[in-house]
Parts: sequence; C-alpha cells; structure tokens
Amino acid sequence: MQRKLPLTIVLLTGIFGAVAFFVPHGAIRSVDSVFRNDVQRIIAAFSLVLGVGSIVQHHLIKIQRKATFWQYSWITLIGLLLTAIIGVFGGIDPNRPGILPTHIGSFSFHIQTIYSNMMVPLAATMFSLLAFFMSSAAYRAFRARNLEATLLLAAAFILMLGAVPLGRTIHRELPAFAEWILAVPNTASKRGILFGVELGVFATSLKIVLGIERGWLGGGGGK
Amino acid sequence: MTPQDSAARPNLWTRLQAIDRRWIYLVIWIVVMVPLLFPFPIKPKPTTPVEKLFSYIDTMPAGKALVISVDFTPDTRAELQPMIVALLRHAFATGRPVGVLAMAVYGLGLGEEALSQVTAEFNAHATTHEDSVINGEDYVFWGWTTPPLTVLLGMGERIANVFPVDYYGARTESLPIMRDLRNYDDVGVLVTVAASAMPRSWIVYGQTQFGVHLGCGITAVSAADFYPYVNSGQFVGMLAGMKGAAEYEQLVMERMAKNKMDWGLRNRGTEAMSSQTSAHLAIMAFIIIGNIGYFATRRRKS
Amino acid sequence: MLSCLVALLLCSISPPGNVAARDVPNDEGGNISVTWTRSPDTSVTSYRLLRQSEGAGEWETLGFVGRLATQYTDDAAANGRRYQYRVIAASPVETAESEPSEFAVASAQWYDTDTLPALVGTAILVFVFLYFINRAKRDRNLFIRRISGLDHVEEALGRATEMGRPTLYVPGLSSIADVATIASLNILGEVAKRTAKYGTPLIVPNTDPIVYTVAREIVKESYTSAGRPDAFTQDIVFFVTDQQFAYAAAVDGIMTREKPATNFLIGMFFAESLILAETGAATGAIQIAGTDAVAQLPFFITACDYTLIGEELYAASAYLSREPLLLGATKAQDYSKAIIVGLILLATLLALVANVSVNRFL
Repeated sequence: MQRKLPLTIVLLTGIFGAVAFFVPHGAIRSVDSVFRNDVQRIIAAFSLVLGVGSIVQHHLIKIQRKATFWQYSWITLIGLLLTAIIGVFGGIDPNRPGILPTHIGSFSFHIQTIYSNMMVPLAATMFSLLAFFMSSAAYRAFRARNLEATLLLAAAFILMLGAVPLGRTIHRELPAFAEWILAVPNTASKRGILFGVELGVFATSLKIVLGIERGWLGGGGGK
Repeated sequence: MTPQDSAARPNLWTRLQAIDRRWIYLVIWIVVMVPLLFPFPIKPKPTTPVEKLFSYIDTMPAGKALVISVDFTPDTRAELQPMIVALLRHAFATGRPVGVLAMAVYGLGLGEEALSQVTAEFNAHATTHEDSVINGEDYVFWGWTTPPLTVLLGMGERIANVFPVDYYGARTESLPIMRDLRNYDDVGVLVTVAASAMPRSWIVYGQTQFGVHLGCGITAVSAADFYPYVNSGQFVGMLAGMKGAAEYEQLVMERMAKNKMDWGLRNRGTEAMSSQTSAHLAIMAFIIIGNIGYFATRRRKS
Repeated sequence: MLSCLVALLLCSISPPGNVAARDVPNDEGGNISVTWTRSPDTSVTSYRLLRQSEGAGEWETLGFVGRLATQYTDDAAANGRRYQYRVIAASPVETAESEPSEFAVASAQWYDTDTLPALVGTAILVFVFLYFINRAKRDRNLFIRRISGLDHVEEALGRATEMGRPTLYVPGLSSIADVATIASLNILGEVAKRTAKYGTPLIVPNTDPIVYTVAREIVKESYTSAGRPDAFTQDIVFFVTDQQFAYAAAVDGIMTREKPATNFLIGMFFAESLILAETGAATGAIQIAGTDAVAQLPFFITACDYTLIGEELYAASAYLSREPLLLGATKAQDYSKAIIVGLILLATLLALVANVSVNRFL
C-alpha cells in the first residue's frame, strides 16, 4: 500500500497532464490549472520548511561534534537567523518599514540592504570566478592532441575573435563566419543532442508514469 | 651528461606545463582591470540577431506593448542588466508602453533599479507631461509571483488576474496603461532576459499556446543553445552576452540621436568591451603557449 | 443646397465589407473571430467593432482597431449564445457602418486539432516503447553499448575507499520535476549501495528541499538494501541553499575542506558547472560528470575525467542496475531516434526533389 498509493497517483496525474495538452476544453484545463498552480505552490511552501530544518540540523551536529571548521557552522546559523529576523520584522526598504527599528546611524535594517550589499556582490563575485577558472581550464586542457581537438581549437579561436570588436578589424567577415559556426554546424550538433535528450525525457517520464522507474520512491531499480 | 639526464631535467616548457594556477589568475586579473582603468574605445557593429530584435521593436504596431521579463539573478547582472536598460530606453524613446515582470524573485531589485535609472534619465529631459515617463501610464512594474506556470499561462488570459497588485502596491486594474494591456494579444513582443532555461519555458507555454512574439537576452555561454530558436523564428531576435548588449546600445543611441535625444548617456555594455577583448586575447595566448609547450615536451620525450 | 448634397455624396467613405464571424477553433470557448475587408478609402483612420446578442435590442461597442486591421477577436462571448457583429469605418469627419454579419456561437472544443502531429508522434513512440518493454520481459540480455563514464564508477569508488577519503555526489541544481534530476537520483541509489558496501563516506549536498527529501530516502534505502542500515546518518544528505552561486560556494568549500577522492557531478547544471568541476580538478579528485544541459557539456568534458553526454545520463540507471525493463526502455529510445533520423532524411530528400522539380518547371 505504501508503494501502490504514490504509484497510482503518479499514473493518474501523469495521464491527465498528457490529456490536458490535447484537450482545450475548460473542464479539463481548469483542473489541470489547479494541479499545476495551487498544488505546486502548497508543496513548495512546505518543502522549504524541511530544507531549513535540514541545514540547521546539519550545522548543529557539526558544532556539537566540533568537526573540522565547525566555526563556519556558527557563521552559517547566525547568518540564517539574522536574515530571517530582518526579513520578517525589518521591512522591505526605507519606504516600507517593518516592526524593528529601521536603522542604527546610517546602517538600515531592511532586507533590501542585505540584498544589495551582500547578496549582489557575493553572487557577482562567484560568477566572476568563471573567468579565472575558464582560463586555467583552457590552459590545462586545450591541447591539439588529434584532428578533432585541433578543429575544436581552431573553432574556439575564431569564435573568441568574432565575439570581440577586434575580430572585425582582423577581417571584415570574421564575426559573420563566427556567427555561421554558431548558427550552422554548432546548431546542427546541438539539435542532434537535443533530439536524444528529449527522447530520453519522454522515455524516462513514461517509465515513471507507468511505474517502471521507481528510484524516486526510495526503492531503487525497476519492476 | 647522458641524453636521459637532459630529458629528465625540467626546462622552461615542462615548468610552464605544470605552472601554478594562481599565476594564470593573476594575469587574467591584470588584463581585465587595466582596460577598466584606462579604457580604449571599442564600438561593436550589430550582428543579425540583435538587428532583428531592434527592428522588430522599432516597427511594432502602435499601441502594442514591449514586455520585459527579468528572469535572472544578480550574479549575471553585469552581462544582462545593460540589456534591460537599453530595451527600456528604446521603448520610451519610441513611445511604446512597457510592462516589466520578474520570474526570479531576486530579479525584482534588478528590474526596479533599471526602471528607476531609465525613468530618471527621461524625466530629467522632459518638459511636458507627454515627454515624461509616468508609472501607471507609460509603464507598469507587475512584480513577481509564483509558480512560474501561473504567470506563463495566466498572462494569456488576463494579466491583472496574475498580478492583481503591482510592485508598488497599486491595484493593477486601476492603472491607465492596463486598459490596453490586458493579455498577450496586446503585447507586441515579450523579451525574456535570462541566464537559465527560462526562455524555453516562454516558448513552450507562452508562444505555443498563445502565439505571443518572443525575443530573448541571454548570457554568452547560453547563446549557442538558443540559436536554433532564432533560426526557426520562435525568437524574433536575440541579444547574446555583453557584446549583444553593447550592439543593442549602439542601435538605441543611433535611434535616440535621430529623435534628438543625444543626452550623453552611459552604456555599460559598450564600456566593458575593452576588458572583454583583452581577456579573450589573454586566453588565446594561454592556449597557444600551452600547445607550444605540449609539442615541445612531446618531442623531447620521443 | 444642391451643391452641399453633391459635396456630401462625393466625400462619403465606403463601409467595410464581407464582415464574417466564426467561433475560434481549438480553444476552451468564449472567443469569436470577426473578419472584414477594409474600406478602400484612405481617409479611414480606425474601425469600431459592435456586437449584438440575439434577442437584445442594443448594439454594444467592443473596441477599436487601427486602419490596417482586418480581424478582431471577441474574447468575452458567452458559450452557446448567438451573436452578430458590425464594423464601423471611421474617418476624421464621418463614419460608415457595415452590414451585420451572420450569427456566430462560441463553443469549447474537446480536441485541439493543431496538436495532431504531436498526438501521432506520441502514439508511435509509445508503441515502440511498449514493444521493447514486452520484448525485454522475454529476452533479458538486450545489448547496450559501453558507456565509459559508467564503467569507471566502481574504479572511482574503489579509489576513494583505498585513500580513505569521502565521495561527493552533487545531484544537480534543478527541481524534482526535471527528468535529469530523477535520472541523477537513480544513479545516486546505485552509488550509495556501493559506498555502503565499501564503507566509504558519502556526502550529498542539495539545492532543492524536495530533492533533498527524496535523496535522503533513496540513500537510506540503498544503505538498508546493502545490509548497512547502521552506517546511514542524517548528515550524509543535507540541504544547503536554493541560491545557485551560494550552493556552488558551499560545494567548493566541501571540496577544499573534505578533499573527496571522487566527485560525481550528475544532473542539471547551469553557469556554476565549471566552478565546481575546476575546483574538484584542483583538489586532485577523479570526477565523473553527467548532464543533459548542452551548454555545460564542454566545461565538464574539459575539466572532468569522464562525462555522460545527454541521453547517456538517462540510460545510466538501466546500465548500472541491468534491470531488463529499464534496458528495454533504453532500446526503445534508440529505435525512436532511428525513426526520427529516417523521417528527417526522407523529408530532406522530398524537399530536394520538390525544389529541383519546381526549378525545372520554371
């Protein structure tokens, strides 16, 4: 029963979702809309509670056991708590204050403050790491070991030059050629991979709906 | 000294092959920072996908709105924010009504920032009410709601139902702009600016089911993914990465100059082109040096 | 007076013609499409649409469209009620009203005929799928080609066990609704069985709360089925954050602090893929990656030792478990792709022939 019920729900909702694609009638679409919108919203809200519980438990265990670098766990938990308090009680921005006093001197207790002064720079910093990692990966791995690797290198050079205004200075048609490489051979190979991926999605979805693939249930394997 | 000894002793090329990563990081830091401090002017020539999007917005039927969906988070802001600013400038300079929404909650701050910047630019030069850009009359910022499917499908029926209240707390239905911006039928083009697979969702739900015209602004690394959709016409045009943003900024500046709006505005996408060029050249140099070292050490071993 | 009358006659604009109304097909009702031919007069600036429902005396204005328009959709029609429409051409000085259209009724359809190609395609693929599932029940040794990344899973886990260092498994950054995540979780089940058997520590950080709960159940079940339920602890699988780069920072921190010997990066990834893969390479771990995100594949191929490309990820659960039904489904995928390739070649040939024939004719 523990397995039969979720498998039955998956089968019925899976078939209904597929039918709703082909049937425009309001009777079907309105039920489909309830599943996609309202039910999803409720599940997402509750699952966030589970997630926060997990991260708190994980770091509390680390602090209790004084595991390696347990001090960082304190920083994580304090940051989580402070952000939650400021988010719930501190207001959104200076025009929409909350219950907490909104500032001490020039420092303001708003979620917008945390967002603009911490989230934005931190996220941008992480993303900018890509520039450094891309260079070290390119230096380490881009070798003309064989014909395919050499062709790849040549295409990479043309595209890099075509992506900057300097490319046009070298040859008028270089940016257009770079665009052709992206638009024709690259698109063709990507379409080929996409066909395979979408077929894989179709097959995996069908396996899940029919109950052949049951790994997601926590049991593993198929029947 | 035997031949084996000379082969075993590391030379410049073997040392270069095993160089510490941090030297590479240092070189990259220098080639990106120096052009920012001492920029050299680079104005990119617009490519076809950018020109297509520009001319589509430029020649939209009068009264049709430009809708911008801010579907990215702050980490890709450097690449994508200039696109939103350029699109807003284009719309306001040509008198198009504008709707802005966010499909990522962290996009709210970015959308608000872009709107504040561009409306301040236009209102600083406005002399009459008609010249001004007014919230609720010339543009509306609907904000964010979840889940995404509600937005994608609900906007096809009635936008005011999806966003009953705008970002600033006003009832959406009471805004004058919403009289002629009811659903996708009143949208000339919806441009999704994203760093994820969100543009595909707009095609699957918005375009396939409701026929809304779409454009996209995406990070350079994702551009290759979306060329098939531009080729097939599912996107009317595309802005790819910072270069795409810089190209669009050039076209918008030319349009504004034609409309006698030569205000000397800053274009962040264009400003970054010098750093991007230097970084690309540095990476190409690394690849060349790496390959010379590879062939030199290979020959030495054999 | 006579001259005024003549002037009036000479200045009058022509009304729009051929006003027709019909139900918009393939929808849930409530929509009627009104079409007309434009007035030939260039002084017309706009058209006004009027509607009258049967039995009502008055005509109500629906809206205005520009002078180039020839179509308008009335999206506020009640299903089952009969309506007729008029179109009024307006110039700056006068208007001209068309004849009323025939009555039209909005109705909801039960089948969207535009989706017929999708329905036919779905039916063919489902048939192929069911055929191979049935065949797999009889023939339990269906052949699947070698997938290098999956062949080295045992070796990679063995390396971690010998070095006494943990194994890191990143199930991607997407939600449980993404099929790549489900495929990744299936592989996680197999990997967890092996780490339980060898006694290798396992670390599974998650970015989605629902994926976290499913992954925890899968790992727990795997440890139980490997006969090591005691070895499962709550901090093997944990939630980190739903923010992309915060998650990347957390995983990078785990890689540099815990120094896992083996990293599995399997699922849906976005811009953080190279950050994860390059940090893992810098720590000297053996890395097996797998994703269907085509944009991230080049980064994984560059920085990782083995990469599962696209649909190899979906074949992984069948490959590792060798379950006959899963193998049958994988064969069905392959044959479906062959059918699509055949159709593309046929369509290309037909287009070529049609093009050549037309040119010869011209």
